This record gives sequence, structure tokens and C-alpha cells, in this order.
Amino acid sequence: MENILELHQVSKTFPKSDFSLKNVTFSLPYGTILGFVGENGAGKTTTIGCILNTISKDNGTIKLFGKEMLDTDTNLREKIGVVYDGDNFPVYWTAKQLSEVMGGLYKKWDNSLFHKYLEDFHLPVRQKIRHYSKGMTMKLAIAAALAHHPELLILDEATSGLDPIMRDEMLDVFLEFVQEENHSILLSSHITSDLEKVADYITFIHNGQLLMTVSRNDLIYNYAVLRCRESQFLALDPNDILSFRKRDLQIDVLVSDGKDAQRKYKDVVVDHVSIDEIMLLLVKGERV
Amino acid sequence: MRGLLKNNFYAAYANVKVFSIVMILLGIFVVAMDNKIPSLIIGYLLLAMIGFSFNSIASLRKESSTKWSRYKLTAPIKRSAIVQSYFLSLLLWLIVGMVFAGIGVAMSIMLHGYPFDRNTDVFMLFVLGIGISLFMGAIFFPLFYLGGEERNEVFLVISLLCSIGLVMGLSTFVNTLFPAPMSTVQIILGGIIILACALIVFILAYPLTVSLYYKKEY
Repeated sequence: MENILELHQVSKTFPKSDFSLKNVTFSLPYGTILGFVGENGAGKTTTIGCILNTISKDNGTIKLFGKEMLDTDTNLREKIGVVYDGDNFPVYWTAKQLSEVMGGLYKKWDNSLFHKYLEDFHLPVRQKIRHYSKGMTMKLAIAAALAHHPELLILDEATSGLDPIMRDEMLDVFLEFVQEENHSILLSSHITSDLEKVADYITFIHNGQLLMTVSRNDLIYNYAVLRCRESQFLALDPNDILSFRKRDLQIDVLVSDGKDAQRKYKDVVVDHVSIDEIMLLLVKGERV
Repeated sequence: MRGLLKNNFYAAYANVKVFSIVMILLGIFVVAMDNKIPSLIIGYLLLAMIGFSFNSIASLRKESSTKWSRYKLTAPIKRSAIVQSYFLSLLLWLIVGMVFAGIGVAMSIMLHGYPFDRNTDVFMLFVLGIGISLFMGAIFFPLFYLGGEERNEVFLVISLLCSIGLVMGLSTFVNTLFPAPMSTVQIILGGIIILACALIVFILAYPLTVSLYYKKEY
């Protein structure tokens, strides 16, 4: 399968900060949604900054549409739609003014499509963005990102300001977007339930380091948590343990194959858990 | 470029609208007054040109309070085009200022006659206004990307004061070059020297600003 986005050993250090991005490698195939998960400060926005060239990486390669993107590659950026968390646009603009500016920036800006999204999302055209709620500004940013017919959407916490109903509607929009086989989405989010609904793959990042990239189906159907007592934990094969976390008298152990673990360790309780709990175990848990 | 210029226009629009109303009222007052007090016309001329230019560069602050500065870089435009648009916007607003100044002084002359001692004085006032505006932009834009957007206000003041200082310095240089009493040709030549210096510095500031902007991370 071809990839619309490829990161290979991408690193970035900040002289005035302890944080660094360490050899991040993952890829996003065409026609898929990749969920990018990590706690605050894990490196999601830095990674997205490196992808979009708003931050210059120290090492590694990033290929968009099979090509490393330079500042001069404006044709590549025509094919990318971006949504950041918070105020994407100056608050003194109206949606109409936004449309006029974007129409001057993107060759393929589709004014009628943008107005259709405004109508669908119930966004007033002539009201200043400063009078929008947070949810409305996010919807506006999503409308703007889609209105120039991008092939790749990069969404950095794009659903965070939305209520559950609106989030669900947006997720439907994203799913519709990837119906085209050459369309893909990189969706960074704290709200892992959103990713469970739409993502084909999920990449976990922690402290600037990529923990793993797994398909959603694998996470839901194969990954599991063993609830062990200490004696049971000591009897586990270390090769089966991805990470573990002690909680009072119980030790939770993350494994990649719950069915196999159930067969091997008959007296241990095996739970299929949410992505939230998997992330907690990966981030806060210990490795063997 | 069209989108960037619109972006810059919307950023400056609210302040410029208020400033334009003030300048129109001030213009009416200046024109209505008898031109026995030339300092009124001098003040109006300089304020129109420098004021509009100042508004143009001050509007950069409004953008930096949102993620638009970062978002813009994800659009299909080069960083150099963004810088170019700021320089171009400043020139366009300076032209608006010159039109305001021109109309004001023309109306005053039509109604009350020529208010200055020499014919070249109006030309020299335009030289001062344009020179200060160009120097101001040339100093501000690199500082904006060098020192960080959060220090914007300080850089605005620094660039305004430095530009006034530079024009004053150049005037002193011209006065030394052509000792009094200066002929009309010498005055015009002095004005051209000041304008040329401001324009050269303005043009040179562009690649410097671009190179600083390329190093900025968002």
C-alpha cells in the first residue's frame, strides 16, 4: 500500500527546553485515517509542525505525496488541509472575509462548497469570528480546511472544542472524506473515543518518542489487559508483556494478543479495554 | 499575493477606518483655518503619511495573537511572499497617506494661498513623510521576526523613533553638504538623497526580513 505521508527517523531538539522529538517513524497509507495519540506535551504538535514545515526538523525525512516538502513546494500544500486547536484565524474576520482571503491563497478554493459547509454547520457568514463559540470556530476551521479540495487532512486536536453530537457529525464528515481512495487524515486527538470510531491506525507517542503504531482492529480485538495478582504476574512470560502497572494488590499487564494470553494463563482475568486504558498503561506503565 | 494583501488589509482595516475619520476631521479643521499657522499643515501632512504607514505595520500584532501566523505557513504560499505582502501593504497605505496629505495641502492652498516661504517646502515635507515611513518599515519588519512577536509594541516605538532620527540625521548631512543659503536645485537634490537612502534601506530590509522569517518556527 502506498503512503501519502511518511516519517522516517525524524528528530527535533529545542535548545531552551528539555523536550525533544526522538527518531519518530510512521506512515499514513492512502485512504486511511491515522489517529495520533499522546498526553499533553508528548510531541504531537511538534511532529505536525515538522510535517508542515512550520518547525524545521534536525534529522530524518518526511515525505508528503512521495516528496520532501520545501517552502517552495506550494503545489504540495495545495493538497493539504490543516486544522489546529483553538483560533486558527484572526478573530476580527467574518467567515465571508475568511473566504475572500482563502480564495486568494488556494487555487482550488471552492466558495460554494465553503458556503455549503457554513450552512451545514449553522455558521453565520457575516458575524465576526470573535463572537463564535469555541465549537463554532473549530467547525469553521474544518470547513475552511475542506473547501479547497485537499487530499490530506492534518487535524491537530480538531474535535476538542466540540460537544459529543457535533463531534459525531464531524467524524462523519471525516469518514466521508476518506471515501475517496486517495484521501487520508492524520488526526491528533486526546479524545480517544473519537479515534476508536474512525481511525484505521493509531500511533502512540510519549515524551517525544513513538511507542507504537497499531491498527484499530488489532487494538480492539487483540490487545488486552491481564488483571494479575503478584504471583500470577511473576509467572508470566516476559515476552508477552508490553507494559505493566501496579495498582494496590493488582497488576495490570498490557499484552498484544489477548486470546493467546487467555489460552496460556487460564487463571488470569483478561479484559479488552479502551484506547484510553491502553494509553495509560503505555505511558504510565513500566517495561520488563 | 491577492489573498495575503486582503489579509493585511483586513488586519489594518479597523484601525485605519478610525484613523481615516480622524484625518478627515483634522483635514477639514486645517483647511478651514487660515494658513497663518503653517505648522498645522506641516503636522497634518506628516501625520497622514506616517500615520497610515504606522497603522499598516501595527496590524501585524493582531495576527500574532491567534494561530494564523502558523496556519498561513501551511497554505500554498512561500514565506518570502508573506514578507513581500507586508512590504507592499506598507507602500499601499503610504500612498493612501500621501493622497490624504496631498488633498489637505491642495485644498488649503486653493482656499488660502501658499502657506510656506519656498516652493520646495511642500516637496520636502513629502520627502520627510515618505522617508520616515520607509525607514520605519525597514527597521520594524526585521525586528518583528528577530525579536519575537510579543515585543511588537516596543519595536513599533523603536522603529518610529529610529526612522525620525535617521531622517533628521540625513537632513543634517544634506545641510552640511549644501551650506545655507541652499538653491532650489540643492534642496531638491537633498530631498532626493533622503528618499534614495530610505528606499535603498527599505529594499535591503526585504531579503534580511525573509532570511530571518525562514528561521522562525511556529
